[in-house]
Amino acid sequence: MSLQRKVLLAAIGWLSTVTLLHLWLNTSAFEKQTVTSANPGERFRVGFLPVTCHLTCPVTHFINKSMSGDGTFEPMRFNGWPELKEAFLSHHLQASFILAPMAMALREQGVPIKIVYLGHRDGTTMMVHKDSDIHRIEDLRGKKIAVPNRFSNQRLIIFRAFKERGLSMNDVTLLEMPPPDMPATLKVRAVDAIISGEPFMAQSEMDGYGRVLFLTKDVWPEFISCVLAVHDDVIRDHRAEVQRLVNGIARSGKWLDKTMEHRMQAATFAGKNNYNQDPKLLEFVLSKPPDRVKYTNLSVRRKDFEEIEVVGRDAGILQGTARFEDYADPSFVTDDNGLQPYLWEATP
Amino acid sequence: MKPIVPDDVEPSSSESSARFSYSAIELPSLVATAFLLVWDIAVRFSGSDLFPKPIEVLWGLVELARKGLLVKYVVASLFRVTWGFTLAVVVGIPFGLLLGSNRLAQTAFNPLIQGFRPISPIAWIPVAILWFGVSDAAPVFLIFLASVFPITVSTAAAVKSVQSVYLRAADNFGLTRMQLFRRVIFPASLPQIITGLRIGLGIAWLVVVAAEMIAVNSGLGYLIIDARNAGKRYDLVVAGMVLIGVIGWVLDVLMRQIERFPSVKWAYGTTHD
Amino acid sequence: MIDAPAKSRGAGFYPARNPMKPGLVENLPHVRLDFGRNMIEQPASPVRTPRSEPPAVQVRDVWMLFPGRHGGRDIPVLERINVEVQSGEFVCIVGPSGCGKTTLLNIIAGFLKASRGEVLVEGQPVHGPDPRRIVIFQEGSVFPWLNVRTNVGFGLSDKSAAEREQIVQHYIHMVGLTGFESAYLRQLSGGMRQRVEIARALAANPEVLYMDEPFGALDYFTRFKMRADLIRIWQQERKTILFVTHDIDEAIQLADRVVVLGQRPSTIQLISPVELPRPRDLNSPMYLEIRDRILDALGMSLRGVVGGNGIGRSAGVGDVNIGS
Repeated sequence: MSLQRKVLLAAIGWLSTVTLLHLWLNTSAFEKQTVTSANPGERFRVGFLPVTCHLTCPVTHFINKSMSGDGTFEPMRFNGWPELKEAFLSHHLQASFILAPMAMALREQGVPIKIVYLGHRDGTTMMVHKDSDIHRIEDLRGKKIAVPNRFSNQRLIIFRAFKERGLSMNDVTLLEMPPPDMPATLKVRAVDAIISGEPFMAQSEMDGYGRVLFLTKDVWPEFISCVLAVHDDVIRDHRAEVQRLVNGIARSGKWLDKTMEHRMQAATFAGKNNYNQDPKLLEFVLSKPPDRVKYTNLSVRRKDFEEIEVVGRDAGILQGTARFEDYADPSFVTDDNGLQPYLWEATP
Repeated sequence: MKPIVPDDVEPSSSESSARFSYSAIELPSLVATAFLLVWDIAVRFSGSDLFPKPIEVLWGLVELARKGLLVKYVVASLFRVTWGFTLAVVVGIPFGLLLGSNRLAQTAFNPLIQGFRPISPIAWIPVAILWFGVSDAAPVFLIFLASVFPITVSTAAAVKSVQSVYLRAADNFGLTRMQLFRRVIFPASLPQIITGLRIGLGIAWLVVVAAEMIAVNSGLGYLIIDARNAGKRYDLVVAGMVLIGVIGWVLDVLMRQIERFPSVKWAYGTTHD
Repeated sequence: MIDAPAKSRGAGFYPARNPMKPGLVENLPHVRLDFGRNMIEQPASPVRTPRSEPPAVQVRDVWMLFPGRHGGRDIPVLERINVEVQSGEFVCIVGPSGCGKTTLLNIIAGFLKASRGEVLVEGQPVHGPDPRRIVIFQEGSVFPWLNVRTNVGFGLSDKSAAEREQIVQHYIHMVGLTGFESAYLRQLSGGMRQRVEIARALAANPEVLYMDEPFGALDYFTRFKMRADLIRIWQQERKTILFVTHDIDEAIQLADRVVVLGQRPSTIQLISPVELPRPRDLNSPMYLEIRDRILDALGMSLRGVVGGNGIGRSAGVGDVNIGS
């Protein structure tokens, strides 16, 4: 057999084998189409990162799918903010969990999106090395702090905390870094402090080298890190679906905050199925203390965002050209004052 | 007519490497073992509990295999690399043949190609996401980009380095332009094209980690990024690295089999391996 | 014998395109160059009769200039070259290294265009290479990606597979490579490679063979054998051969006529017929006389340089200090 024939046959054989195996193992191409999804065109992809701030996303999916067999919303896990943002911008995602200041900045830059709901409240921690001499926010002067993204509220909270204490931002160095890399960086003390959404902060605490400098609730009560943002045209054309998504997230949040048992369940299945993280770590984040991250009281309120606007302008990431009306659409929130008692407050 | 047997008829002796076969196994094994030992000792000595020891990496691999992820991830990466590379071959070889044989095309396209060539596939990630979203197409596109330029450039170089005596001989036999391409230029440049393909495949496999940083939910690159997300699972990070290294090596060995065909073997030295 | 070519395999596989006149080439069925034995008693080649049809190859007042580097003056390579080669004739062009022999052959073959003058083949001007006139290159142009069989059949793509196979086998046999049909170039020795090249050229059934120092890279013994075989093949195939070499002995051993080119810019110094019978006795007085005549034409005397008659037998022109 000639070279060309042999190589061509081998190449075709390889190509088809690998393709078939991939379709079989890694996609649902060979799965029988069940009743789960209405039709593929109406699939609604929601982006999220494996952080506890976005926990309501997989929980909603889980509840939807297991309770009502509704597969309309497909959670898509990303590994970093830039990739998530780009997929959202290019309409590959209809909706996404996204940093609140980033959503506002995108709106200012003319991207037609709206914040329709919050993802969570609090859920951010600043960690320092346990042996470090940093015990108060004032001690951060002259130090290096890792932040997830310039548009993150984690960065803004530093601005706010410094301003309140009369410190200058020139006194610290901020480094942008993917949160998954932060614990190891802190461990080898390449930075002095790290701040991001959980569970990466709790990781360093669990492993014994991290110490909590502050939780968000201590510095910026009712802190908002991530929000649910949706494209304007999706809101226009698929209002009912967006409403269902918001309802689902609200319901998931309430379910999560109802009992500690639910949180432990969520830690187990999300850790395994969605985050690929040790459930123990998620359990730690969701319980120590219980209000480290909260999933209720998620309605979109003008006051919260105007506060972010102020700090965002100070931090130089927002121009102030987009107002609450421009970047937010609170109309999906049915129960605006859904302030429910935090049930764990009664539990240890 | 009485045929004469020329006294100069004597096939050149075939290469023999039997003498080296003993140390060809032993020596590299020895070095590899020494490397693993040094690694192990270094981790123990430093007292780090972040960086895994070799045995922990092995357990990480076992864990992946048990969960069925090992096969899934390997297949996913192979799938993306195969398609990206195949597209690069389908585009790169004809394009390279054109550039190598047509001065006008060479002049016209060369600056563009040389300008695109140094751009890391990582820089293309945003573009890939904007164009292809989060499907398999995005990493395939990145892998394609990474390997298409080396293939194009080495194909063009191969065509340009075809010995002019072959072209003159072919010209003498009255070949048309098309025949000249098919029967002389292509086979004459094939060995160097194959070398270019080897380089291209190496690069394609090299960028798999970067390409799978894009949200896909499988693959060896994904394994590494996912293991970072998973907290302190650096054993899986290194396991991913080991898998990428070993499979890349196997791919190159497979690719080299093409070089053994007599119609291309002429261009490689007898000691080639 | 020569008039019935198709019946005799030895007379060539193809029916001759131009049936030649009897007596043009003597047909010695089993020619061997027998080194060291006096064979002067064999009949000499008959003198060619003038003919009315145009010569196979006609070089008419060819001049060649190469453009000077960096805008310098043009370098003249060939001047005023006039050569005629009759159909079926074996002509050698001999000259020192770098004198422009290969350039001249490339012009004749149509790979280069002369600065002035023209080349006619059977009265028609040459505009480019043509499969009726195959060049055998000094550096070897056997395709390394093909084996012996496919190399020899290279110029036969318009033939049916059966016909091609028959022709290929015939010429592989003729050049003595039977049994090596599936071998690739790298498995062949230098002499065998040139045999493949010759077989490939003959298989295409050209009227003329242009050979550019084809044996230049071979060792002494192989070269010697190749010359004998070439003469044998030429006598079987009756092709017109124009053979370029820098080896005066090779030229005298092979050619019906030797064309001597001088130093660059080359002009023709001498055209000498070699009326020695084949197989040729390299010790015959006539042989030595022709050699001396050629050396004289090149402005050098072998006796003066080496000191002693008959020493330095296979003198290459380029090896000797010329013209000083």
